[in-house]
Amino acid sequence: MDQFNPQRRQVFQALIALSAVGGLSACGSESQSNEPRLAQAAAPGYFTNSEMALISAFSQTLIPQTETAGAAQVGVPAIIQSLATDWGDDAYRIYWREGLAALGPALTSQTEESFLAQSSSVRNQVLATYDEQVFSGAIENQFYRDFKNTVVQAYFRTETGATEELAYEPVPGEWIGCVPLSEFPKTWAT
Amino acid sequence: MADFDVIVVGSGMSGGWVAKELCEQGFKVGVIERGRAITPAEDYTDFVDPWTTEHLNRKSDKDREDYPIQSTVYAFQTYTRQFWVKDKEHPYETADGTDFTWLRGYHEGGKSIMWARQSYRLSAIDFEANKKDGHGIDWPVRYDDIAPWYDYVERFAGISGSKEGLDILPDGIFQPPHDLTCAEIDFKNKIEATFPGRKVIPGRVANLTEPTEEQMALGRGRCQARNHCYQGCSFGAYFSSKSATLPAAQGTGNMTLIPNTAVHKLILDEATGQATGVEAVDVETGEGKRITSRAVFLNAGTIPTTMILLNSATTNAPNGLANSSGQLGKNVMDHHSGARGYATLPGHLDRHFFGRRPNGFYIPRFRNHTEEGDGFVRGYGYQGGAMRGNWSSVGYRKGIGADLKAAASTPGPWQISMIAFGEVLPNEKNHIRLHPTKTDKWGFPVPVMDVAWGENERAMVRRAIKDTRAMLEAAGGINIQTDDPDTAEPAPPGIGIHEMGTARMGHDPSNSVLNKWNQSWDIPNLFITDGSFMTSAGCQNPSLTYMAFSARAANHAAELLKTGQIG
Repeated sequence: MDQFNPQRRQVFQALIALSAVGGLSACGSESQSNEPRLAQAAAPGYFTNSEMALISAFSQTLIPQTETAGAAQVGVPAIIQSLATDWGDDAYRIYWREGLAALGPALTSQTEESFLAQSSSVRNQVLATYDEQVFSGAIENQFYRDFKNTVVQAYFRTETGATEELAYEPVPGEWIGCVPLSEFPKTWAT
Repeated sequence: MADFDVIVVGSGMSGGWVAKELCEQGFKVGVIERGRAITPAEDYTDFVDPWTTEHLNRKSDKDREDYPIQSTVYAFQTYTRQFWVKDKEHPYETADGTDFTWLRGYHEGGKSIMWARQSYRLSAIDFEANKKDGHGIDWPVRYDDIAPWYDYVERFAGISGSKEGLDILPDGIFQPPHDLTCAEIDFKNKIEATFPGRKVIPGRVANLTEPTEEQMALGRGRCQARNHCYQGCSFGAYFSSKSATLPAAQGTGNMTLIPNTAVHKLILDEATGQATGVEAVDVETGEGKRITSRAVFLNAGTIPTTMILLNSATTNAPNGLANSSGQLGKNVMDHHSGARGYATLPGHLDRHFFGRRPNGFYIPRFRNHTEEGDGFVRGYGYQGGAMRGNWSSVGYRKGIGADLKAAASTPGPWQISMIAFGEVLPNEKNHIRLHPTKTDKWGFPVPVMDVAWGENERAMVRRAIKDTRAMLEAAGGINIQTDDPDTAEPAPPGIGIHEMGTARMGHDPSNSVLNKWNQSWDIPNLFITDGSFMTSAGCQNPSLTYMAFSARAANHAAELLKTGQIG
């Protein structure tokens, strides 16, 4: 069987890096029209279009496009729609509906703009402030914590999240207990 | 003319070994399995990617409804549920004031498909423990009797591990061990310096790290470090009866697998005093069957094996067959688990690991050995691991946007977790009985589990929590979390998934069910080599011991059959 070969690893990582760059340029060219495209892509289900719009905007602000695609771009809202529609029970669905209904107004900007109406940079500021308040304990909002965690869990389980943002090896082939971080700088997806 | 030379009831960890040994000696063997036959291409789900699992791999309400007990086990996932029984179809009861979590799968291979693969020998100290401290009865075998059989099964099964020269945990025939991580090496050094009687070693695990020609000839390959073992392994890289012993048995042309067939009674010929076969039912059609043989091995798993014999009562044996001692069904043991600890180990931030190790570290027992006990006899060992924090924690912390992504993709600090598994004492009060009225859908009595841990187990887990904390502190751990050592209780019976002891071996037919060859004192062509035979539990994971005793007993039975002493 293959022995561990640092050179092979480096070649593989270079390939990963190249594909990430390719992904970046493709996403970049579409960035102006992301939101209408995402809204159309949402699967029908429990959440209404306006709820899906908030889920989409929240997800993409929480995990935006950087060198890799953001959460809404890789289908996280559809995963959340499916959780509510096909997986959860009525209590789960109501929890989300009520949570979203309360969260929307909480993310209104200082200039009274709704979250959906805000530019992405304002959304980022508003959400960062809110997030800090929740995790400092100034605001008690368990739904927010659950929503955030669900987006995180969903995003890093997508192919983009797992293979581009993180490092994913479906068949590592071997276990090496202690390697330099410089050779394997990313968190393993699984 | 009997249908088979030997019937083996159960195709799991131990039954596979019996089938292999007897088939290789030329006997016609019928392996009766109450569950379905496994087809790896359909049943194994080891090529599932995270993005192809539905609903974030979360268990559904239906999972919890169909599998209220099984869905609590760590190895139950949305894509492993096919290996666990639907609890509603397989009821059992617990006596008032007791608790028992019965975790199991009914299919070809049994729990050997889903086991955690930790493989440790019992030691000379374990085989002498009952005699020394007076709990239970003395084992009729000593370490030297079984050591060659440990060698034998390890060579075939393939156990990875390191030679350590410890009397409490004998070395074996090992394939190369899994490395410790950088943080685990640091942990090991600090623990062994602070506590000279303790060792931190790589876990010994039934995953092939350097397969032999014999193993490769069976279609088994090297472990690919995926850690998807609970989903089945298409590489055959971990030992299961499906990957190893059953193919070897099948290859002789002497084995017949009889799936979907639940045995509920042993048939006894009162004139000869020997078993002539079993009564069974086709679980799909309900059709009854009688299957005959010259000898019978019960390997159905401790609880089902016990139930078969209790349910086989006759006028002359009103308390069940093979039960003249009255010990059948008594002395239920497991390993109590607890004393979990978690901590962050500072440092080593320039180091990482590669691959997914299906294993961790192990700390062999030190209490009542290199160090004193603390109001209890016997002891406990630890399993654990230290890995870098992964992305999933960012959902629970402050931060959004590009910062969140950066935090997720940057390995977190080294986090250690560990848990103790402790020896449970044999106690006749802990028993299995037939429910007087309730039956399952095939009309067979359901078991009533009447098992509770006692003061020894409680004292042990409380001491183990203190030891956990002391070791995490000695390793420089921060944010240490453990249970409260003054109030903690051991996990309830069954959680260890090592139920055993209900047909114990002994020196004397008046107080034991089996002799030193796993052979019934009462019915000489009846053998039991699943966990039922265990006279004491040790604190080590027991499957390797079941394998060794199964191979030994099968070879003894072969001699008796060849010389006409039985059957």
